[in-house]
Amino acid sequence: MSYKIFKINEDLKDFMPPEIVDLEEKATWGNPKRGVMDLPYSKELIEEHSLCAGCPESAAFRYILASLPNPEDTIIVNSTGCTSLVFPHIALHTVHSLFGNQNAVASGIKRVLEWRFPDKVKDVIVLAGDGATVDIGLDCTLQSFFRQEKITTICFDNEVYANTGGQESGMTVKGHVFKMAPKGKQWDKVPMWQLAIDSGCHYVVRMTVSSPKKVEKVIKQAIYVAREVGPTYIHLYTPCILEIGLNADDGLEEMRRTDKERFKFFEYMTDAAKEVIERKKEEGLI
Amino acid sequence: MAKLGPSGYSPYPVAMYEDILTPPPGKALLFNEIVDEEIAMREAAKAMLTRENPTIFPGPQVLYAWNEEAKEKARLVRKIAETLGAKIIPMYDYRPKYPKIDPEKEINPNHPNLTIWHNNIKACIFIGVHCHYANVALKIIRAETDCFTIAMCGNAGHEDAMITLRDQHTEELEKFIRVAEEVKKELGK
Amino acid sequence: MQKTEQVQYNRAGQRIVSPDYLLFEAPREKQFMTGSEVVKEAVKRASVDASVSYPITPQSEAAHLIGELWVEGYVGVYFRGESEFGVMSEVAGCSMAGARTITTTSGPGTLRAMENFPMWAGSRLPIQLVLMARGVNAPLTIQPDNLEISFLLDTGCMIWHAETAQELFDMILAGFVVAEQPDVHVPVITAIDGFFISHTREAVMLPPDDIALPPYNPYKSPMVPLDMEMAPGRFLRDPYVMKSNYISYAAHTSWQFEVRAAIERSKPYAKHYLRGLIEEFGDPEAEIVFVASGTAAAQAKEATLMLLHDEGVKARVVRLKTIRPFPTKELIEALRGAKYVFVPEFNVIGWLEREVRRALYGNLDVPVIGSPRVAGGMTMPPEFIVKEILQFLGKEVKHVV
Repeated sequence: MSYKIFKINEDLKDFMPPEIVDLEEKATWGNPKRGVMDLPYSKELIEEHSLCAGCPESAAFRYILASLPNPEDTIIVNSTGCTSLVFPHIALHTVHSLFGNQNAVASGIKRVLEWRFPDKVKDVIVLAGDGATVDIGLDCTLQSFFRQEKITTICFDNEVYANTGGQESGMTVKGHVFKMAPKGKQWDKVPMWQLAIDSGCHYVVRMTVSSPKKVEKVIKQAIYVAREVGPTYIHLYTPCILEIGLNADDGLEEMRRTDKERFKFFEYMTDAAKEVIERKKEEGLI
Repeated sequence: MAKLGPSGYSPYPVAMYEDILTPPPGKALLFNEIVDEEIAMREAAKAMLTRENPTIFPGPQVLYAWNEEAKEKARLVRKIAETLGAKIIPMYDYRPKYPKIDPEKEINPNHPNLTIWHNNIKACIFIGVHCHYANVALKIIRAETDCFTIAMCGNAGHEDAMITLRDQHTEELEKFIRVAEEVKKELGK
Repeated sequence: MQKTEQVQYNRAGQRIVSPDYLLFEAPREKQFMTGSEVVKEAVKRASVDASVSYPITPQSEAAHLIGELWVEGYVGVYFRGESEFGVMSEVAGCSMAGARTITTTSGPGTLRAMENFPMWAGSRLPIQLVLMARGVNAPLTIQPDNLEISFLLDTGCMIWHAETAQELFDMILAGFVVAEQPDVHVPVITAIDGFFISHTREAVMLPPDDIALPPYNPYKSPMVPLDMEMAPGRFLRDPYVMKSNYISYAAHTSWQFEVRAAIERSKPYAKHYLRGLIEEFGDPEAEIVFVASGTAAAQAKEATLMLLHDEGVKARVVRLKTIRPFPTKELIEALRGAKYVFVPEFNVIGWLEREVRRALYGNLDVPVIGSPRVAGGMTMPPEFIVKEILQFLGKEVKHVV
């Protein structure tokens, strides 16, 4: 753990912009109970981003970053997509290397950090879109589950390749018309949460991000289980309001609607995961 | 480092392709000459004391208190700025900044020229910037501006700066302050 | 007697010695082993933190043996990845997290992993890749052929080409030392010609195995290691989100030049640790000169001896140890007085010939002959080289190849 890397030297503090000083003075480091309720009062780990106005993914980002139990020792790996437009603005060590290799890079980072810092907890989290997680990166995603890598994988499913201009993805619903599927998608949405269970994840959730408190709880559970037991997978619906023709203020409503159908809350955990979650609850950390 | 810029667009000028290497241990680089550290320090102080709007760009390795040396170096950087009458503009991280930077308050390695243009900086010192980002920034500055660049590096130095000092730790920074005070006297400042 | 310097040990319990001591001064003992076994011996003395492997002929054995070192406690992290693309991404992660990292691959594996190599270089990761070259084309072949090196030339990685198992051993150790210099800090590919080196036994001189290189210090890296231990806390490893609203195109240009400049900065270090970027063999007065690297150089050396002893023709060899950085100055200097330059190669396109032509153009006016050249697993017996030279010179060819 190193809050020190955020601590500004007194001699040079006068010259630092206020938003960087705030990151030292008003950020929520060193408190595993931090959560989405801190958002209005604390310095966030992400402030500016270049996602579309009203993008549910931007809300998901804020909730997830606010929920990290150990931000001072968390490394986030991402991939190509809308998410990669946000990463330059996050106040954590992040990496974007290629499209689809995020779980492989994360595996290397996690294993080396365990080897280099056996007495510290270093969380490694993958945040990537559906194209990166399920299409081009499916091999690396599933293989990291098979190998029981102790990382948390979070998929932002907007059911389309949004950043490249709206092409069909494996997560697109059958029949939906997108670019590269001009007659409508010919095959079913990939049941990624089920693949994650079958591939060895110990904690799997499918949900929308319509409820911040619920997102917080799930993220914390996933991270605690990954630390002690093995891979965990969170599948979040973050609709692309632009590509499905909704207004900037329609995102929440769209998620609430799907909360009742194809993104109905689904949670799976192994016995080992359950033990961790119950213990963390007793400790007051969830 | 053969010439002061600006030297135009791509292909970017890169000192290495003009056969200029980082200086060997114990030495410094003054344009394309390998010289004693003290000579380079004197010239660096002179450039900072005689050119318009001299500015120090401290990087993360001295801005943050991430170890004991960093704390001590921060104190010395401040003292150097006072001795040279230089401004301090921090390069506090390396992420590209969105939507725009405030060039009066910060410098970013991805477009360092904006800060130099805006403040009409004619001499600067890079210190505590990770070598890769210092090199990327120094190449851009050389290409786009006529700023006299000085690199005080804790490792092997930066051949794209007009003056590069290498292996600069607290002892060397203290020496630089002494040299700068002498040069200041000589210049009658 | 009082010792002023404290003896230090690495995590495997080996005594830490200076690179110069390990490479040049430590006593050495003769062993008889394959190139693959030599990889193990080098890694064993290199304080390696991490390695990820994937099977492909002919590099598999070297990868197995690194796994044995992991079991024995000499390597910190080791596992089998899902494919070469996955492996090269995994070692990237290892290196980003601050580990000294090595991996091995061959032929089609190199091409499958290809997307990663420019990413390694642009991310300034000093990963070492031991490349045991083999054919890559359809029709598929597992036989020796070093065409794949051609694809790697402009990835931003250093490329060294070893001639013997002994040189591979020394290059692996020197590779870490040079690649990890703060002003270099780019990947190093230590290449050999597969099978010829990996699968044949030769005498090698090895220092004791209870000494090792000093461990890697990630905090001297030109980039921040991804461990949340070094400022700045806000840090993005890769700003290649080339949306013009984030980052000027100037940064991308400058960044790429910086990677190439870093390779050039390796020259003085490589010169020291490899005892020169080139090796000259044969009569320095000879007008017929072979420029070659790897196994082709070994064959050219034999041909040079045959030409002299059997035909009375003087020839010499200029062997390039480093391809990236390319030893342009040294090559031009060595070729002064040459009348004909032959470039023997184990690939169909003649990438070294291209490199040599480019280096000489405008600097030295001497005909460059891209010959002899074999591919797809063909061998290049010295008699074959001799025949080519004699034919070129218009002399009678007595040898039957």
